[in-house]
Amino acid sequence: MDLPRTIPTSFVPQPASTAARRFHSDFTGAFSFLAYAVLGIIFALAIGVFFYGRILSATKASKDAQLIQAEATIDPATVRGFVQLRNRLSSGAKLLDNHVAFSNFFALIETLLPTPVRFNSVHLTVTGANTSAKKIGLEGTGVAKSFNALAAASGAFATEGRIKDAIFSNIVVNRDNSVSFVLSASLDPTLVAFAPPSAPASAASSSAPLP
Amino acid sequence: MSNRILPIFALIVAIGIFFVYVSPTWTGSITATKKAIASDDQALAAAQTYADQQNQLAAERDKIDPIDLARLATFLPGSVDNVGLILDLNALAARSGLSLSNIDVAAPAASGGSMNPNAAAAQSTMSTSPIGSVDLSLSAIGTYAALKAFLSGVEKSQRLLDVQNLVINGSETGVYTYRILLRIYWLR
Repeated sequence: MDLPRTIPTSFVPQPASTAARRFHSDFTGAFSFLAYAVLGIIFALAIGVFFYGRILSATKASKDAQLIQAEATIDPATVRGFVQLRNRLSSGAKLLDNHVAFSNFFALIETLLPTPVRFNSVHLTVTGANTSAKKIGLEGTGVAKSFNALAAASGAFATEGRIKDAIFSNIVVNRDNSVSFVLSASLDPTLVAFAPPSAPASAASSSAPLP
Repeated sequence: MSNRILPIFALIVAIGIFFVYVSPTWTGSITATKKAIASDDQALAAAQTYADQQNQLAAERDKIDPIDLARLATFLPGSVDNVGLILDLNALAARSGLSLSNIDVAAPAASGGSMNPNAAAAQSTMSTSPIGSVDLSLSAIGTYAALKAFLSGVEKSQRLLDVQNLVINGSETGVYTYRILLRIYWLR
């Protein structure tokens, strides 16, 4: 009777099977390959990082040099000059808009006031920084030759409109029938607004008494 | 045995190189350098923009007549120079026929514009404004025509002068006394 092949016919130990040995040697080879490959990749990566760092450092040095050169071309005096010119132009325009010319008021009052009415004292006051907030006050004392003359002056102020809230007070009839008065009023800012000459180039140079 | 040790050693060396050199260098110096380069690029772009704008502004400024620029500098000078102005006002008053008796620096008329000729020198403290201002008080004697000529000169002067306060006291002789508060300006 033949024995099955799976039953050993001898009790003498035999070496491991060739399949197991092949598996072991394949695993070791694969692991070695993987380890060396990882080492190679990491090494290449390290070299890449090293040179990339050097390239970046060189680039930064170049940019720094360009920046220093660009900074050197900036002249603070030139910048200051531009800023001052801008401030002069913008602030000058605002100041000119609010420039006060009392000559206009005196020219008006000469035409409005009847001859028999004269001022003994006049006080003009400007308050407020800009056109919208500007207030011009007028206070004065004077004498009119008659009550009718004073009434004519009051009527002229009311008709003109730019001398606002004109209040005549402390009205006293003197022995010679003249009438003393105190005037309180406010002026429309447009009345004393400066109007530049129509021909600025020639007029400004000829009518500028101050440098 | 060495067949196993060498690959393990290689793996350990690879891990060591990665964690000791590659990773710290990438996240450290290289990242910092890249940020610095980006910052430099921004600064260089800003410098280029500045150079372009400076050239543009210079071209615009060159279009303005130098005489007009000089007049603008006189209109709003870079310093107070009230002494030079007082000399000019004296000359103007003399030309107008007005006799100036007293010129002083007064505080800015911030308190309702009241006259204060003996106040100490003071300048306006508008910190946000590039313009400084101070008031000059004048006392004068002269005719009404002289006052009008003086006022006209003040109003049209190349250096900006604003009359803030004017007091006229009359007399029977036709010669009046005046107190004038002038505000002068300068660029800070």
